[in-house]
Amino acid sequence: MEIDQEAINHVEVLYLKGRLDAVSAKQLKEKVASLGQEKGPKLVIDMAGVDFIDSSGLGALISSLRTVSKLGGDIKISGLQHQARSIFELTRLDRVFRIYDDSMAAAKSF
Amino acid sequence: MDPRGVTFVIDSDMKNVPLVGMSVNRLCRAASFSTLDAFHIELCVVEAVTNSIRHCYGGKTGHEVTVICTLTHREIVLDICDVGPGISPGVLDGAVIQNSPGDVADIEGIPEGGRGLSIIKKIMDSVDYRSEKGKNRLTLRKRLPEKKKGTG
Repeated sequence: MEIDQEAINHVEVLYLKGRLDAVSAKQLKEKVASLGQEKGPKLVIDMAGVDFIDSSGLGALISSLRTVSKLGGDIKISGLQHQARSIFELTRLDRVFRIYDDSMAAAKSF
Repeated sequence: MDPRGVTFVIDSDMKNVPLVGMSVNRLCRAASFSTLDAFHIELCVVEAVTNSIRHCYGGKTGHEVTVICTLTHREIVLDICDVGPGISPGVLDGAVIQNSPGDVADIEGIPEGGRGLSIIKKIMDSVDYRSEKGKNRLTLRKRLPEKKKGTG
């Protein structure tokens, strides 16, 4: 999986591309952990480029949310493809994460 | 239509899991499942094979996982087979997606893992498990979509 990063109005945005599964889950967790220990981090994970997600990928997102929450911050999800969104809904995790159409809307929501 | 099938045998390496998943996805689309259904069935196979590698083989490579795909006139049947410690009794029955993910304000209380079997049970029409003399077989079934009147 590829992960690109940019800042939008002091919000860090991670753009994921590829499959978020048991192979790439650790990569995402390490990336989020590497973002630093700044208080109240604001993070958007953009998944427009994610064409497959499984329960390991969902677990990595929950782990990332825990990491950021401990610092008083939050994670918002953007750009979910139809199929990936269906998995969030099926597992009820659409009630845990706030989901936006695109990264700009997610960044503005902080 | 006589049953048709294809069998995949992979080494127990997580990097091989997408190969089986994507192949099953293509097979499902060829069998007239919708794109979304094919994605969901791919997900179930990925979850099952991942569980096999992780729990039966302890995440170690060098073991075989076999996925037998059988297509009949009414359903697709996927058998995921491994050799070793099987699923503990009661685990499959207890795998259910709760209506609520938990207290969303308490992220520590929301489990990071353990969703694989419950996702499989939610998506597939039936899920059966057999373990005999160390040979384990998880069987997943999904009915083909009904053909519209006047076609095929």
